[in-house]
Amino acid sequence: MLILKRTGVIGLWLLLIFSTAVVTAAYKQRFEDGPNRVFSGGPLIAGELYRGAEPDWAFVNDVSTLELQLLSPAQSRRIWVASVQGKMYVWSGYMNSFVGQIWKSWPAQAERDARVVVRIDGIRYERRLVRIKTGAVLDELMAVVSKKYPSRSSGADVESGNVWVFEVAPRAAADVAEGVGS
Amino acid sequence: MKNVYVRIGLVVIATALSVWVIPGVDDAVESVFQILVLIAST
Repeated sequence: MLILKRTGVIGLWLLLIFSTAVVTAAYKQRFEDGPNRVFSGGPLIAGELYRGAEPDWAFVNDVSTLELQLLSPAQSRRIWVASVQGKMYVWSGYMNSFVGQIWKSWPAQAERDARVVVRIDGIRYERRLVRIKTGAVLDELMAVVSKKYPSRSSGADVESGNVWVFEVAPRAAADVAEGVGS
Repeated sequence: MKNVYVRIGLVVIATALSVWVIPGVDDAVESVFQILVLIAST
Protein backbone atom coordinates (compact mmCIF):
# COMPACT_ATOMS: atom_id res chain seq x y z
CA MET A 1 0.00 0.00 0.00
CA LEU A 2 2.85 2.33 0.89
CA ILE A 3 4.57 1.53 -2.39
CA LEU A 4 1.41 2.36 -4.34
CA LYS A 5 1.08 5.66 -2.50
CA ARG A 6 4.69 6.61 -3.14
CA THR A 7 4.39 5.64 -6.80
CA GLY A 8 1.31 7.81 -7.10
CA VAL A 9 3.04 10.77 -5.46
CA ILE A 10 6.07 10.41 -7.75
CA GLY A 11 3.72 10.17 -10.75
CA LEU A 12 1.99 13.40 -9.74
CA TRP A 13 5.34 15.19 -9.37
CA LEU A 14 6.44 13.96 -12.81
CA LEU A 15 3.10 15.07 -14.28
CA LEU A 16 3.56 18.51 -12.73
CA ILE A 17 7.09 18.80 -14.11
CA PHE A 18 6.08 17.67 -17.60
CA SER A 19 3.00 19.90 -17.69
CA THR A 20 5.05 22.90 -16.62
CA ALA A 21 7.71 22.10 -19.20
CA VAL A 22 5.14 21.81 -22.01
CA VAL A 23 3.40 25.07 -21.10
CA THR A 24 6.75 26.88 -20.83
CA ALA A 25 8.04 25.51 -24.14
CA ALA A 26 4.79 26.45 -25.89
CA TYR A 27 4.87 29.97 -24.43
CA LYS A 28 8.56 30.42 -25.30
CA GLN A 29 7.87 29.49 -28.92
CA ARG A 30 5.51 32.48 -29.23
CA PHE A 31 8.61 34.73 -29.14
CA GLU A 32 10.43 32.85 -31.90
CA ASP A 33 10.50 33.54 -35.64
CA GLY A 34 7.90 31.00 -36.71
CA PRO A 35 6.63 27.73 -35.28
CA ASN A 36 8.76 24.76 -34.37
CA ARG A 37 6.83 21.51 -34.80
CA VAL A 38 3.51 21.58 -32.97
CA PHE A 39 3.76 24.77 -30.92
CA SER A 40 2.66 28.06 -32.52
CA GLY A 41 5.35 30.63 -33.11
CA GLY A 42 5.61 34.37 -33.50
CA PRO A 43 5.53 36.41 -36.72
CA LEU A 44 7.53 35.18 -39.71
CA ILE A 45 10.46 37.58 -39.92
CA ALA A 46 13.30 35.90 -41.78
CA GLY A 47 13.28 35.15 -45.48
CA GLU A 48 12.93 37.05 -48.71
CA LEU A 49 9.47 38.50 -49.39
CA TYR A 50 8.23 37.26 -52.77
CA ARG A 51 7.12 40.04 -55.09
CA GLY A 52 6.81 38.34 -58.49
CA ALA A 53 3.93 36.95 -60.50
CA GLU A 54 1.62 34.33 -59.01
CA PRO A 55 3.60 31.06 -58.99
CA ASP A 56 2.36 27.66 -60.10
CA TRP A 57 1.94 26.17 -56.66
CA ALA A 58 2.26 22.56 -57.83
CA PHE A 59 5.70 22.46 -56.22
CA VAL A 60 4.15 22.51 -52.73
CA ASN A 61 3.06 18.90 -53.27
CA ASP A 62 6.73 18.09 -52.71
CA VAL A 63 6.89 20.19 -49.53
CA SER A 64 5.92 18.44 -46.29
CA THR A 65 4.62 21.51 -44.44
CA LEU A 66 4.53 25.27 -44.65
CA GLU A 67 4.60 27.97 -42.01
CA LEU A 68 1.44 30.06 -41.95
CA GLN A 69 1.11 33.32 -40.04
CA LEU A 70 -2.06 35.28 -39.54
CA LEU A 71 -1.76 39.05 -39.26
CA SER A 72 -4.34 39.12 -36.48
CA PRO A 73 -3.26 37.61 -34.16
CA ALA A 74 0.36 37.64 -35.35
CA GLN A 75 1.02 34.00 -34.62
CA SER A 76 2.30 31.28 -36.89
CA ARG A 77 1.82 27.55 -37.09
CA ARG A 78 3.14 24.66 -39.18
CA ILE A 79 0.44 23.03 -41.31
CA TRP A 80 -0.04 20.63 -44.17
CA VAL A 81 -0.38 21.96 -47.70
CA ALA A 82 -1.41 20.63 -51.10
CA SER A 83 -1.88 21.97 -54.59
CA VAL A 84 -4.53 21.27 -57.22
CA GLN A 85 -4.75 22.90 -60.64
CA GLY A 86 -1.83 25.16 -59.80
CA LYS A 87 -3.53 26.62 -56.72
CA MET A 88 -2.43 26.16 -53.12
CA TYR A 89 -4.72 24.93 -50.35
CA VAL A 90 -4.47 24.51 -46.58
CA TRP A 91 -7.05 22.94 -44.32
CA SER A 92 -7.98 22.16 -40.76
CA GLY A 93 -9.71 18.98 -39.65
CA TYR A 94 -11.72 17.93 -36.59
CA MET A 95 -13.64 21.22 -36.79
CA ASN A 96 -16.94 19.66 -35.66
CA SER A 97 -15.36 17.96 -32.66
CA PHE A 98 -15.11 19.45 -29.18
CA VAL A 99 -11.32 19.08 -29.15
CA GLY A 100 -11.04 20.65 -32.59
CA GLN A 101 -13.10 23.66 -31.61
CA ILE A 102 -10.80 24.29 -28.66
CA TRP A 103 -7.52 23.42 -30.33
CA LYS A 104 -8.03 24.77 -33.86
CA SER A 105 -8.51 28.49 -33.38
CA TRP A 106 -6.75 29.73 -36.51
CA PRO A 107 -9.50 28.89 -39.04
CA ALA A 108 -12.05 31.09 -37.24
CA GLN A 109 -9.41 33.79 -36.83
CA ALA A 110 -8.69 33.57 -40.56
CA GLU A 111 -12.35 34.12 -41.34
CA ARG A 112 -12.23 37.37 -39.35
CA ASP A 113 -8.99 38.60 -40.97
CA ALA A 114 -7.96 36.56 -43.99
CA ARG A 115 -4.56 38.17 -44.51
CA VAL A 116 -1.70 35.74 -43.98
CA VAL A 117 1.99 35.32 -44.65
CA VAL A 118 3.21 31.88 -45.63
CA ARG A 119 6.85 30.81 -45.63
CA ILE A 120 7.93 27.97 -47.87
CA ASP A 121 11.58 26.95 -48.14
CA GLY A 122 12.61 30.24 -46.53
CA ILE A 123 10.63 32.48 -48.91
CA ARG A 124 7.69 34.50 -47.55
CA TYR A 125 4.53 35.08 -49.56
CA GLU A 126 1.81 37.58 -48.63
CA ARG A 127 -1.53 35.97 -49.28
CA ARG A 128 -5.11 35.79 -48.07
CA LEU A 129 -7.17 32.74 -47.18
CA VAL A 130 -10.41 32.14 -49.08
CA ARG A 131 -12.58 29.42 -47.58
CA ILE A 132 -13.85 26.81 -50.04
CA LYS A 133 -17.01 25.06 -48.85
CA THR A 134 -18.24 23.30 -51.99
CA GLY A 135 -17.12 22.45 -55.48
CA ALA A 136 -15.61 19.71 -57.60
CA VAL A 137 -12.11 20.80 -56.61
CA LEU A 138 -12.63 19.43 -53.10
CA ASP A 139 -12.68 15.76 -54.12
CA GLU A 140 -9.63 16.31 -56.29
CA LEU A 141 -7.88 18.10 -53.44
CA MET A 142 -8.72 15.42 -50.89
CA ALA A 143 -7.42 12.76 -53.27
CA VAL A 144 -4.09 14.60 -53.40
CA VAL A 145 -4.15 15.00 -49.61
CA SER A 146 -4.80 11.29 -49.06
CA LYS A 147 -1.83 10.40 -51.26
CA LYS A 148 0.46 12.88 -49.54
CA TYR A 149 -0.56 12.52 -45.88
CA PRO A 150 -2.11 9.88 -43.59
CA SER A 151 -5.51 11.53 -43.97
CA ARG A 152 -8.77 10.03 -45.19
CA SER A 153 -10.92 13.13 -45.47
CA SER A 154 -13.27 13.57 -48.41
CA GLY A 155 -15.13 16.36 -50.13
CA ALA A 156 -18.18 15.40 -48.06
CA ASP A 157 -16.19 16.10 -44.86
CA VAL A 158 -15.51 19.59 -46.16
CA GLU A 159 -19.15 20.19 -47.09
CA SER A 160 -20.26 18.99 -43.63
CA GLY A 161 -17.95 21.54 -42.01
CA ASN A 162 -15.72 18.96 -40.32
CA VAL A 163 -12.81 20.03 -42.52
CA TRP A 164 -12.27 23.68 -43.33
CA VAL A 165 -10.41 24.21 -46.61
CA PHE A 166 -8.84 27.50 -47.61
CA GLU A 167 -7.31 28.54 -50.91
CA VAL A 168 -4.13 30.51 -50.28
CA ALA A 169 -5.00 33.21 -52.80
CA PRO A 170 -3.25 36.39 -53.90
CA ARG A 171 -4.03 39.41 -51.78
CA ALA A 172 -5.94 42.41 -53.05
CA ALA A 173 -3.68 45.41 -53.67
CA ALA A 174 -5.05 47.25 -50.61
CA ASP A 175 -4.26 44.28 -48.38
CA VAL A 176 -0.67 44.14 -49.61
CA ALA A 177 -0.19 47.83 -48.79
CA GLU A 178 -1.27 47.13 -45.17
CA GLY A 179 0.71 43.93 -44.89
CA VAL A 180 4.01 43.00 -43.36
CA GLY A 181 7.48 43.27 -44.80
CA SER A 182 6.79 46.40 -46.82
CA MET B 1 0.20 21.38 3.81
CA LYS B 2 1.77 24.81 3.31
CA ASN B 3 5.08 23.06 2.79
CA VAL B 4 3.59 21.15 -0.14
CA TYR B 5 2.50 24.34 -1.89
CA VAL B 6 5.99 25.79 -1.46
CA ARG B 7 7.49 22.65 -2.95
CA ILE B 8 5.06 22.76 -5.89
CA GLY B 9 5.94 26.40 -6.50
CA LEU B 10 9.66 25.70 -6.41
CA VAL B 11 9.34 22.76 -8.80
CA VAL B 12 7.25 24.82 -11.23
CA ILE B 13 9.74 27.72 -11.15
CA ALA B 14 12.77 25.45 -11.51
CA THR B 15 11.18 23.55 -14.40
CA ALA B 16 10.08 26.71 -16.22
CA LEU B 17 13.50 28.31 -15.86
CA SER B 18 15.25 25.16 -17.06
CA VAL B 19 13.09 24.99 -20.17
CA TRP B 20 13.44 28.72 -20.87
CA VAL B 21 17.19 29.07 -20.29
CA ILE B 22 18.89 25.80 -21.19
CA PRO B 23 19.25 25.51 -24.99
CA GLY B 24 17.52 22.53 -26.56
CA VAL B 25 15.33 21.63 -23.61
CA ASP B 26 12.28 23.32 -25.13
CA ASP B 27 12.82 21.42 -28.36
CA ALA B 28 13.15 18.12 -26.49
CA VAL B 29 9.97 18.82 -24.53
CA GLU B 30 8.11 19.61 -27.76
CA SER B 31 9.37 16.35 -29.31
CA VAL B 32 8.03 14.30 -26.40
CA PHE B 33 4.74 16.22 -26.50
CA GLN B 34 4.45 15.60 -30.25
CA ILE B 35 5.00 11.87 -29.77
CA LEU B 36 2.33 11.75 -27.05
CA VAL B 37 -0.11 13.61 -29.30
CA LEU B 38 0.61 11.21 -32.15
CA ILE B 39 0.06 8.20 -29.90
CA ALA B 40 -3.15 9.68 -28.50
CA SER B 41 -4.51 10.46 -31.96
CA THR B 42 -3.97 6.95 -33.39
